[in-house]
Amino acid sequence: MRAYFSVFRMRLKMELQYRGAMIGGIICQMFFGIVLVALYHALYESKAQAMPIEQVSTYVWLQQAFFRMMVATDPDLNDKIKNGSISYDMGRPVNLYWFYYIRVAAQKLMGSLMRGIPMMIVAFLLPKGWGMSLPTSVSGLCSGLVALFLGLLCMCALENITMAFTMRTLDPRGMQSLLNLLMVTLSGNLLPLTLFPDSWQKVITMLPYAQLLDAPIRLYSGEYPVSDMPVVLLRQAGWAAVLILLGIWMWESNRKKMIIQGG
Amino acid sequence: MSYIEVEGLRKTFTVRKKREKGKLFREKEIVEALKGISFTVEKGELVGYIGPNGAGKSTTVKILSGILTPESGKALVGGRVPWKDRKDYVKHIGVVFGQRSQLWWDVPIIDSFSLLKDIYKIPEKDYKTRLSELTEALQLENLMRTPLRLLSLGQKMRAELCGSLLHRPELLFLDEPTIGLDAVSKLALRDFLKWENKEHGTTIMLTTHDMEDIAALCSRVMVLGHGQKLFDGHLNDLLEKFDTVRTVSVKYDTSTPTLNLPDGVKADQKDGEIHITYSPSELPTANMLSILQNAGNIREMTLESENIDHLIAAMYKEMDL
Repeated sequence: MRAYFSVFRMRLKMELQYRGAMIGGIICQMFFGIVLVALYHALYESKAQAMPIEQVSTYVWLQQAFFRMMVATDPDLNDKIKNGSISYDMGRPVNLYWFYYIRVAAQKLMGSLMRGIPMMIVAFLLPKGWGMSLPTSVSGLCSGLVALFLGLLCMCALENITMAFTMRTLDPRGMQSLLNLLMVTLSGNLLPLTLFPDSWQKVITMLPYAQLLDAPIRLYSGEYPVSDMPVVLLRQAGWAAVLILLGIWMWESNRKKMIIQGG
Repeated sequence: MSYIEVEGLRKTFTVRKKREKGKLFREKEIVEALKGISFTVEKGELVGYIGPNGAGKSTTVKILSGILTPESGKALVGGRVPWKDRKDYVKHIGVVFGQRSQLWWDVPIIDSFSLLKDIYKIPEKDYKTRLSELTEALQLENLMRTPLRLLSLGQKMRAELCGSLLHRPELLFLDEPTIGLDAVSKLALRDFLKWENKEHGTTIMLTTHDMEDIAALCSRVMVLGHGQKLFDGHLNDLLEKFDTVRTVSVKYDTSTPTLNLPDGVKADQKDGEIHITYSPSELPTANMLSILQNAGNIREMTLESENIDHLIAAMYKEMDL
């Protein structure tokens, strides 16, 4: 266990070094947040939607704040696969899947906290309807945090699945851009899932991508009532388990076939 | 029972070729990387493993370090099968791949080492003694707080070696550890490996293209070519077979005289120096010297055996590699 804890701590520390990237990320995400909120204001001026504008802007800001948690790949790990240094990690007395899973988790957690916390502070200070609103209830906030953790588990599992594809293709770009496209669309980053037609939502909210950030945000904002909380959390945990098992299976079958090319 | 026992190890790779015009599917080619290799290594031995590029050296190392599974054949290292129960096996071995890195790029190397400590569950006290021993032997003391990315190639390799030896492996695989290193770093590395082998009885298996490495370190050498073992024995025995010619260079006091050389002995003149290549089995060196002495006053003379790289090249050629 010490090894996994140690790699987690080390990756956290490493992420702290990239402060320039953090500032760049914050500026980029702030820009996206403001543009998106402005867009919804324009939309609401012509035709107001069922969901109040305050909730939409809270949704947008939370999505932007935790964007790094969703779309973040560890370039070191992709390089390892590409140049064969993964052979060192295969020769360690650790479980490769979990060893990398923990690394990814540390990166996503630290990367998004570094960006998310300052961004949320700014978003709280913005005028009503443009910024973030407080959670509707304490239980909403708490369950939102639990859901965020479960979402993180799903995100890391998805990342490891992408990596499993990289092990086969040796180049992360193709599969990554395809999966990222699915992710930003179906997770509500591009357009809040709450604004999709109701009939679509019934399906979309069941998919794994909705478990990442959409579920925690809806618990936070009270879109999901407290009574729904157990079902939502169970659904997330279920998807986390499924995605992790799928990833482990893919890694295991890759490991048997893996050839480290070159001398 | 020997420490390493390998018998009939086979490994094939499937290589997909580029699709030919007019064909629907790409053709596959089966490449036999290892065609049934057998050898044994005793505990504490320092074995050199040589062969041209693509001979199967690295494949052997990868199989014996538990990364690849062979098609067939047996291998036992210290009574364990490398590709079975991998997690338990790899605790006992260390690997250095000369062209890859195990340390973290952006963090000080000491942090990478302390992660390795946790990975191999090295007790704190043992870690401290081992680390100070290794850093002293490898002269890493001043580099511990430097991120890997700032180190030179030689420093990096020393750090990599330190990382691979922290857990006191019984067996160390080195895959081209001196690749790209300057003369000083190479010499230091060789001294270190000798020290580690002697001091701790670590069994070392070394693949390299640098024959000086082999000459300096290994009493025993195995030659691999086309996935087969071609030679296994002492380096000198290997060289003797191919080390058949000598080159003598002479400089005379006065202008270069004409030499009365027997047929088939070639002489080249360059910058007033004569270079003669001959084989002592046909023309004994004593006879050669008297020919040279009779021709005039010798000012300088050197006698050289063939460069070890040339010998190996000749050997690969003869073995049709």
